[in-house]
Amino acid sequence: MQRVVPGIDYSLFIATGILGFILAKNTATRSKEAINANDTLFTYRQVFPVDTVLVRAALEGLLFLISALCLVAGLGLFGYEVFPHDFLRVLSGFVALWMAGIGLGLTFSVASQLIPESGKVSGMLFGPLYFLSGIMYPPSAIPPAYQSWFLLNPFVHGIETVRTGFFPQYHTIPGVSMGYLLAFAMVTICLGLALHVRFATRLVAK
Amino acid sequence: MIIVDDVYKRYRSDHGMGKWVLQGVSFTVPPKLNVGLVGRNGAGKSTLLRLIGGIDTPTRGLVERRCRVSWPMGFGGGLAASLTGRQNAKFVCRIHGHEQDLQDRLRYIEDFAELGDSFDEPIKTYSSGMKSRLQFGLSLAFDFDVYISDEITATGDAAFKDKAAAAFRALSDRAGLIMVSHGEGTLKEFCKAGILLHGGQAYWFDSINDALTEYKKSLHR
Repeated sequence: MQRVVPGIDYSLFIATGILGFILAKNTATRSKEAINANDTLFTYRQVFPVDTVLVRAALEGLLFLISALCLVAGLGLFGYEVFPHDFLRVLSGFVALWMAGIGLGLTFSVASQLIPESGKVSGMLFGPLYFLSGIMYPPSAIPPAYQSWFLLNPFVHGIETVRTGFFPQYHTIPGVSMGYLLAFAMVTICLGLALHVRFATRLVAK
Repeated sequence: MIIVDDVYKRYRSDHGMGKWVLQGVSFTVPPKLNVGLVGRNGAGKSTLLRLIGGIDTPTRGLVERRCRVSWPMGFGGGLAASLTGRQNAKFVCRIHGHEQDLQDRLRYIEDFAELGDSFDEPIKTYSSGMKSRLQFGLSLAFDFDVYISDEITATGDAAFKDKAAAAFRALSDRAGLIMVSHGEGTLKEFCKAGILLHGGQAYWFDSINDALTEYKKSLHR
């Protein structure tokens, strides 16, 4: 496995990729379903649809933290080098991925209520994205001509940031930027919140 | 006091806007008055209750609540199925800002609902009668000026109905009730005034008996 990424343990390489992707995906898909799952609570006028979405996103973040700690502790027991060399960089990568998940969840939660079909399409989106996010292969394996297309996927930027923070000797491809992912997160969060404000009454009406 | 002023309501359906459920409904509910809402199935009774309860907004017109109004209780709404009765009660206390006296309220709800050990079982194991007991206890735990009930007493047994009626008699000097029911006896027992919903219009009657008479006439029209 040394062939894939020289000098880096392949299991840890995959673990970082899958953890980052799962965090964004679960946050997005679980918060997308929050409105449907909690519609009995809208009987109380204190509860808004956006509350259920945000609470689910927070819960997903907490669950991720617990499962990631378990995974790291388990790998550590088996003798893997699990301590990242730049902890803050790893953390910021995960937080940015989580925020992108929140933004997508906020946006999709409104969209799937207004147009139910869009909910199914957005769920299918994560299948291809799993293979397009550089989880099982390093982005440097992509031919340079196509790398700019590959980098349109915001999750790549977060996952690569986590990896560069985790492995001191890891070299990512040029063009990976936290700014791109954070901008994506900001735009989707603002869009999602705006949709929640605009369609607040439509989301509660039966 | 609750003021419903020229309210129109229609819902969005899969193929454009649906037909008007309420067309120009206006009335004023004075404080401390128990009002029964009658009308045939689909006349818009539950819709009107949701509008009064503030969980839905009218398409046109205005609903003004110059008092504290409960949420519309009925049909298991407002209870999270996977949580226990106690957890639901805690949640409702907290969103109404009763974190401080949580234990007192919980004790009141537990006593009123008389669910026994089932209070610590998930709501999905409850029968509809048990759900209405819990919902009734929940809303009585807070000092609302007007309580809204959507067929909540229909699924309860005789003992529970007596208890609910007694609770409302005790409240009658400080709170009112707006209720939907198809049981004539229940309406006569609980309510003084009546509103008949027919053809998207609301007709106010100072006596529930007149409202029921008119309702029966409207059924044969």
